Amino acid sequence: MGEAKALTGPELEQIEKIIADYKGQQWALIPLLHEIQRVFGFIPPPAIGPIASAMGLFPSQVQGVITFYSQFYTEPRGKNIVRVCRGTACHVRGGKTILKLVKQQLGIDEGETTPDFEYSLETVACIGCCALAPNIVVNRDIYGHMNPKKVAAVFHRDGGQ
Amino acid sequence: MEAITITLDGVAVSGYPGMTILELAQESGVEIPTLCHEPYLAPVGACRLCLVENEQSGALVVACATPIAPGMVIATHSPRVIERRRVIVQLLLASHPDSCLVCDKGNRCKLRQIAAELGVGLVELQRIPQAATIEEVNPFIERDLSKCILCAKCIRVDQELVVEGAIDYIGRGFASRPSTVNNTPLEQSECTFCGSCVAICPTGALMEKERAYGGTTSHSVDSVCPFCGCGCSISLEVKDNHLVRVIPGTASPVNRGTLCVRGSYGCDFVHSPERLTAPLVKVNGEFEPVSWEQALERVASEFNRIKEKHGADSLAVLGSSKCTNEENYLLQRLARAVIGTNNIDNGSRLYSSARRLGLERSAGIPATPNSIEDLEQAGVIMVIGADPTVSAPAVGYAIKRAVRYRGARLLLIDPRQTKLAQFANLWLRPRPGTDIALVNGLARVMIEEKLVDAKFSTGKTKGFTELVSSLKKYTPEYVAEVTGVPTQDVVLAARLFAGAESAAIVYGNGITQHVSGVDSILALTNIARLTGNISNGGGDIFALQRENNARGAGDMGSLPDFLPGYQGVDDAQARGKFEERWGVSPPDGSGLTALEMIEQADKGSLKAMLIVGENPTASFPDSALVKNALAALEFLVVADMFLTETARLAEVVLPAASFAEKEGTFTNFEGRVQKLNRAIEPIGDSRPDWAILLEMARYMGQPMPYSSLQEVRNEIDELVPKKTSVKPGLFIPVEYKPVSISGDGYPLTLLTGSVLPHFGSGTRSLRAWRLKKFSPAAWVEVSGGDAQRLGLADSDPVKVVSPVGEVTAAVRVTEALPQGMLFMPISFPESPVNDLWAAGVPDLKTCAVRLERMSADG
Ligand code: SF4
Ligand code: SF4
Ligand code: SF4
Ligand code: FES
Repeated sequence: MGEAKALTGPELEQIEKIIADYKGQQWALIPLLHEIQRVFGFIPPPAIGPIASAMGLFPSQVQGVITFYSQFYTEPRGKNIVRVCRGTACHVRGGKTILKLVKQQLGIDEGETTPDFEYSLETVACIGCCALAPNIVVNRDIYGHMNPKKVAAVFHRDGGQ
Repeated sequence: MEAITITLDGVAVSGYPGMTILELAQESGVEIPTLCHEPYLAPVGACRLCLVENEQSGALVVACATPIAPGMVIATHSPRVIERRRVIVQLLLASHPDSCLVCDKGNRCKLRQIAAELGVGLVELQRIPQAATIEEVNPFIERDLSKCILCAKCIRVDQELVVEGAIDYIGRGFASRPSTVNNTPLEQSECTFCGSCVAICPTGALMEKERAYGGTTSHSVDSVCPFCGCGCSISLEVKDNHLVRVIPGTASPVNRGTLCVRGSYGCDFVHSPERLTAPLVKVNGEFEPVSWEQALERVASEFNRIKEKHGADSLAVLGSSKCTNEENYLLQRLARAVIGTNNIDNGSRLYSSARRLGLERSAGIPATPNSIEDLEQAGVIMVIGADPTVSAPAVGYAIKRAVRYRGARLLLIDPRQTKLAQFANLWLRPRPGTDIALVNGLARVMIEEKLVDAKFSTGKTKGFTELVSSLKKYTPEYVAEVTGVPTQDVVLAARLFAGAESAAIVYGNGITQHVSGVDSILALTNIARLTGNISNGGGDIFALQRENNARGAGDMGSLPDFLPGYQGVDDAQARGKFEERWGVSPPDGSGLTALEMIEQADKGSLKAMLIVGENPTASFPDSALVKNALAALEFLVVADMFLTETARLAEVVLPAASFAEKEGTFTNFEGRVQKLNRAIEPIGDSRPDWAILLEMARYMGQPMPYSSLQEVRNEIDELVPKKTSVKPGLFIPVEYKPVSISGDGYPLTLLTGSVLPHFGSGTRSLRAWRLKKFSPAAWVEVSGGDAQRLGLADSDPVKVVSPVGEVTAAVRVTEALPQGMLFMPISFPESPVNDLWAAGVPDLKTCAVRLERMSADG
């Protein structure tokens, strides 16, 4: 988990407001986390304490739930989410190399975000477009039949240098 | 409840509904291997090792989580079951490092035991690399999570039993592991180093970090924790006459497989190099080691000489709430029958006799009549004048469990924000010393709003009308003005308490160490009685005891006004009983209390004292006066494990054996009499106190005729009534009397109390090297507001000055205190907070002080 940066006053207030709607309803932890992530794009670690006390849970338990689901983030994410497919079909058609290229292009590793918060990089197990393998997904768009040239074209940047 | 019969490995066995297959198997002596099951934890079925075969359906089910059903046919060791278990163990070992030979868990590792039983050796599966050790600086716990098998026992004990919530799983799949928030080292988390997770971990993933003594345990001995009044069961693991480690005893309903940091890591004092190993006699101001014969001869002749010359009442005996029941019994017999005086008291006088008298006068009961299990069943728990998470951790655990898992509601009354605050439904922060006004205010609201138990209020309980009229002035508005608690909270608290099916009151030293301790207890008893919460299951009054045998010392008559069993020293019938047995009539007329002994010694009318296991120089108010008084005695004998500040003043010092080196019983705060067993031989030439006392009597020419400790026990059973009958209750109105705590030039109020790693005056806990390493010196907590105003920051050295004395300590800024209040721990002789109090009536909890900044170099 990232460094727990302190929240600003208004941010804290906003979180408190969201939490208040769910107070005391232990079952509602997941919807609450979703809501906070919807508003902030991620779940700021300093929010874990207040969430836990409103839910009657321990902070460690809330963290357990957040880190259990790959869809919850505790760090700010890029504007664009890049997912490189690591499924079997993509793998046999060079998915591993594509991942390496994307990493070079963006200058970041899996699970990281570019310093300008443009891109975050993830991998997925399969996106169900095996016919187009190897694939990458940027936000909701699928880019099939990837090769080094196409990778460079998708990102129009060369973060590797 | 109808019994359920099933067939287990071909044999018909029956159990009760709700029982799991595993429980029934264990009861029937059938062994099923388990890794994630633990009797006091809810089953999770995580390890799958306890699989058994349901022979009717052919299904494999987890025994630990499957309830028995009529007619079930279960095979626990069928070939299919065994094969499956082997596969599971192989999978576990595939992601486990091959470090068994050097792993300190050694033969205690359950994974290794089970693998051996199933004949699983080298694993041919592809290995999965695992996380490495986490760097931690605490001296207690080491985590090597590469050895973790994800049984979640540590997480469950942490959340379900000790209720700290320091750890939970982080991540998922192969990467998941038990972690603190943000995966910090334990010392940066909520962890209190209770050690319960270490004891429960089946593998070497969680281990003791810095151990006192290496090697594999040769045997273990059941005993009782020597620190607080909870009386947790412990098991002492021994090798070569050394304590290797202390683990929780599992069978006790008091601690249920948990301990606190003191129990787990505090018993190192037993092997402290500072232990006394030979009797010492002062020659020309210096101690010289002598033989026991020489020492005892000296003691006997001096005691006899002084008795002859000045009379028996010129001698006094101060016993200890750390000594066993048998030792306390012998002590009072030595005082009464051998010396011939009622000048016998014990060190818990300062903080526990107030509560005893209070309960007795109003309720007719000597101490807490109910168990920790009852407490956990209460609907509302009111905690006042106590921080059980520190002073009585096992009770703290029970309260937190009741709140978190049983829906109990916590009414917390404490100006400090203790760990319980986050569990409280209602938290009142009265000004120190105003408890009686607050409690009377609650009583008034209860009566006003007709929330009182009709049965108790209509004549059956004496004094009701008097009570009602005495409460007239305690309106919520008046109470708010006096205590600082908002009116609506006073009303809410009264409704909360009175509205419960059963409501418990838990109180501790914060009540009894105040000048008005007895009155506070009476006020509390009044509201308990008003709401029908005396002996109402969980609805009752629970008095915490600081020292582990504070209750036993009183029960055994180490008191100047009571023979054993709270039979008055002037009660003719009781005196007759003891006379018949002892052949000597016990003296009549109350003797000196501990504080009076010091006074009389100072005045010169007390000539000699025997002090056993107490350190009044450190634990009584105004240590300078105590020192002078003890030094003025003609003859002082101290029996102790260490050369304490008190022992240094003695003419003769007798080396005493520790709790681990002797047998006997301790009585915990519930009244549970628990046995301790000898785990190791006495260190050096030390002897158990009971043996010292028997010898002393013999040398004095009046042997006490016991040939074994059992004979002492028998005499106690015979002469000490087990239960004092509960007298019909009575309301006793009490008034709040304002005490001015702050004074001119002393604008701050200092509160004192215990802190978790330490205990009492620190005699033992500061000699337990891991505790000392973790928490080496005193500090003073200052509220954020005061710190800002005074320009103080963390670790700034300051002087805390009262009208009678001053101590130095380092600042700790905290948000847990309201402005104007300070807090200091009592357990550090280097910062003797008791020096801030004047001698006399003990109010060792609050004091008016000011802070003075010290320059960094001095
Ligand atoms: S650390 Fe120990 S107790 Fe905790 S989950 Fe791992 S193996 Fe189980
Ligand atoms: S030592 Fe105690 S408080 Fe700390 S993690 Fe283990 S169980 Fe929790
Ligand atoms: S709670 Fe008390 S009795 Fe239990 S381990 Fe801690 S100090 Fe010992
Ligand atoms: S002991 Fe039953 S699943 Fe672990």
